Amino acid sequence: MEVLRFFQYAVQNKVQILTLLLEHIQLTAMSVGLSLLIGVPLGILICYVKKLSKPIIGVSNVIQAIPSMALLGFAIPFLGIGVIPAVVTVLLYSLLPIIKNTYTGIDNIDRDLIESATGIGLTKLQVLTKVQIPLALPVIMAGVRISAVTAVGLMTIAAFIGAGGLGFLVFSGIRTVNNFQILAGAIPACLLALVVDGLAGLVERLVTPISLQKGKNMSLELTKKTRRNQKVILAVSAALVIGLFGYTALSGTKGNERSIVVGGKDFTEQSIVSNLVADVIEEKTDIKVKRRLELGGTQVCFSALKSGDIDLYIEYSGTAYGDTLKYPASSDVDEVYQTVKKDFKEMFDIDVLSQMGFNNTYTLTVKQETAERYGLKTISDLARVADELRFGSTLEFLNRSDGFPGLAELYGVSFKSEIGIDGSSRYVALMNDETDVVDAFATDGLIKKFGLVVLEDDKHYFPPYYAMPLIRGEVLEKYPEVEAVLKELGETLTDEVMTELNYKVDELLMNPEDVAKEFLEGAAGAM
Amino acid sequence: MIEFKNIVKKYKNKEVLADLSFQINTGDFVAIIGASGCGKTTTLKMINRLIEPTAGKVFIDGEDIGEKDVIKLRRNMGYVIQQTGLFPHMTVKDNIEIIPKATHMTPEDIKARTCELMEMVGLNCDEFLNRYPTELSGGQQQRVGVARAFATNPDIILMDEPLSALDPITRAGLQDELIDLQSKFRKTIVFVTHDMDEAIKIADKICIMDKGHIIQYDTPENILKYPANEFVLQFVGSKRIWTSPQFIKARDILLENAVSTTANSSLFGCLEKMRSTQVDSLLVVDAKTKRMEGVIYAEQILREKDLSLKAKEVMKKDFVSIGPEDNILEVLRIVQQNKMSSIPVVDENGRLSGIITKSSLITTLSQQYITEEEA
Repeated sequence: MEVLRFFQYAVQNKVQILTLLLEHIQLTAMSVGLSLLIGVPLGILICYVKKLSKPIIGVSNVIQAIPSMALLGFAIPFLGIGVIPAVVTVLLYSLLPIIKNTYTGIDNIDRDLIESATGIGLTKLQVLTKVQIPLALPVIMAGVRISAVTAVGLMTIAAFIGAGGLGFLVFSGIRTVNNFQILAGAIPACLLALVVDGLAGLVERLVTPISLQKGKNMSLELTKKTRRNQKVILAVSAALVIGLFGYTALSGTKGNERSIVVGGKDFTEQSIVSNLVADVIEEKTDIKVKRRLELGGTQVCFSALKSGDIDLYIEYSGTAYGDTLKYPASSDVDEVYQTVKKDFKEMFDIDVLSQMGFNNTYTLTVKQETAERYGLKTISDLARVADELRFGSTLEFLNRSDGFPGLAELYGVSFKSEIGIDGSSRYVALMNDETDVVDAFATDGLIKKFGLVVLEDDKHYFPPYYAMPLIRGEVLEKYPEVEAVLKELGETLTDEVMTELNYKVDELLMNPEDVAKEFLEGAAGAM
Repeated sequence: MIEFKNIVKKYKNKEVLADLSFQINTGDFVAIIGASGCGKTTTLKMINRLIEPTAGKVFIDGEDIGEKDVIKLRRNMGYVIQQTGLFPHMTVKDNIEIIPKATHMTPEDIKARTCELMEMVGLNCDEFLNRYPTELSGGQQQRVGVARAFATNPDIILMDEPLSALDPITRAGLQDELIDLQSKFRKTIVFVTHDMDEAIKIADKICIMDKGHIIQYDTPENILKYPANEFVLQFVGSKRIWTSPQFIKARDILLENAVSTTANSSLFGCLEKMRSTQVDSLLVVDAKTKRMEGVIYAEQILREKDLSLKAKEVMKKDFVSIGPEDNILEVLRIVQQNKMSSIPVVDENGRLSGIITKSSLITTLSQQYITEEEA
């Protein structure tokens, strides 16, 4: 039954899945191709200059040990968001197996054989190209194979910085607790990994000299025939990938039209609001909108905005005030907004447009039963019994100054344990009784979905988190009409509306795009 | 001619070659032999500059090889090592043609040459051309190695223990073929081995090395017979000569003081001489020229009634003799055929050099057992 529903989902979204799969293939091919171009020469280099082998292998070992998200985070300030940092990050992870295998492959060739090659009068280059590389090729290819398969999996992080790929489905599925969506990303990724492994295995076998292949019970004739077939398979695959690049290159070079890039963070509300923003701009102006949604978080979006990778995204006033500008937390709505507006313009030439109608501030929530058992209504109530409860919080909330640390100080809250769980998984943990308290956003649809009790911020700790569009100064100058369009949209979006829209995505598993469209149609009908 | 002049090779403080000077004549088959670490392979690799000397120079036909283009130098020199020398990812054809191709010979020439080379080393061209080294036996692989060494028709061929990984029968066969190739093409072959039997069998000259020094550099025969010192004797093995009896010549084992008489002696005189020296025959020799004229036996004299006859009237003139260069195997054969107790050794001018008796043969042949016991 579930399987059937999954297939229905997959068929319904086949265009999206296929597009993302193709993106994924392209990104992976670029990463592995480039790491091949860099890794093999490096591997050869350290065979000749042994002194370099330790530092080079050491550095690539260290890179391998850095968490991929962290590496991606480092890359954003230098490379912005999108395809380039994603490819570079995955490339860096792919380097180690390639460098190491090239080095091992060449270094392990019988020294007598190399001496024999030198002794009969081959030049150093000829020894390398005619003897060392051909003999090391199977080992090098084994490294490439590991790299390629790892890269397929790793490339899911590309979605984090708006480069697309199957990770988009996985991340957005995790966020909305939509298992079908997760599977729609994960299954093609697995299949792709298997196919890549198979193809790389073919190459590995093809580059192994016939004489050195194991299992020689095949006749030479048969081996040659098999090889011919294998070559055809590889040639077709290579042609397809090249064709894919060619197609993208052609379709990517459209004229210099009026366009604006809208970004968005990777949670439900952002998806909905960003789509709403993009839709109204498209509808009410002649500006083309490019959507780069589902970007990692505040840092990713803000860096992208500063570097011009995106032109516009929706930020929350408290986040900009406390997190980006590092002011101490303030609960004065007007002061926060005005300060941010002034500072962003002066410091980054970023215009802050009018605040929208909803305040997605932090809250703490518990299950209905928990609230009843302990008689919890406010955070002050919670503080009394906190030492019996486990806190499952987003990493961001645990770490930011206007998040849990300040709250704990003001209310004197001290939990039995604190666990960082990102995205919607923390609701799952809560429902499974692995945690008792979660942080939540005031407009979160999942609160409604899981029937959670929101604890009142009775000491007015949480700063205002009104949504507000950030737009690059030069873009606003070019397209001043955007300001009015967004003001009109913002006024219709109240806390209640937002919670409802979030609920539709989180509980009813509707697409954020569809929810946005439906809302705009309804709003237009009402007007 | 390859000439080593005061070659020294040091690795850090360890001296591998100590002031080495010797010559290898054009067309010679020279075996360099010694225990592991004696410097024999280092010496060989000096010739194709795989190893450069710390001091001293190597000359080929009077030219300092240190000043030549090293790639050209190597391409004009065959190089054969143990079977690992073939490239496992290349067919027999590619292995043989790798250098001809690198030197830009025309494809037609290369093709013709490859088949010629394969036939030369006894491999069927059609059958083996497209096989990989792993599909060949050790002996076949080494034949390909030799063919590759001959590919550019070099004057000098270097071989570094090429046969030591082969089984004894294959090895003996290839040794014979190397000798054959050498006599046909008169290449200068430098051959490193640790096997004395092999060196004796195939080399024109043997260079025995120890601790970076040349201990003796001479023909196999001289090394067997006149070991320069105790080391060579030990290395060669004192009974080694018995595995090569062709090197034991009549002149080495003859008794110089053969009991002789002159043609004009009386039979009585002859008889007295036989009695006093306790022999049953006398060699009749011209007193002046030392030419051997005949043999006279005691039984002949006893048959005569007149003992005043001259020896020349009674002596046997068609006697059996051997030359001083005949080896011990021939001596034994002749002695056995003619049922003789002794045999005179006569040089090419008919002069008597000495005599080999049954007892002197026994003394010689028993040396191999006696020395063995002593050892």
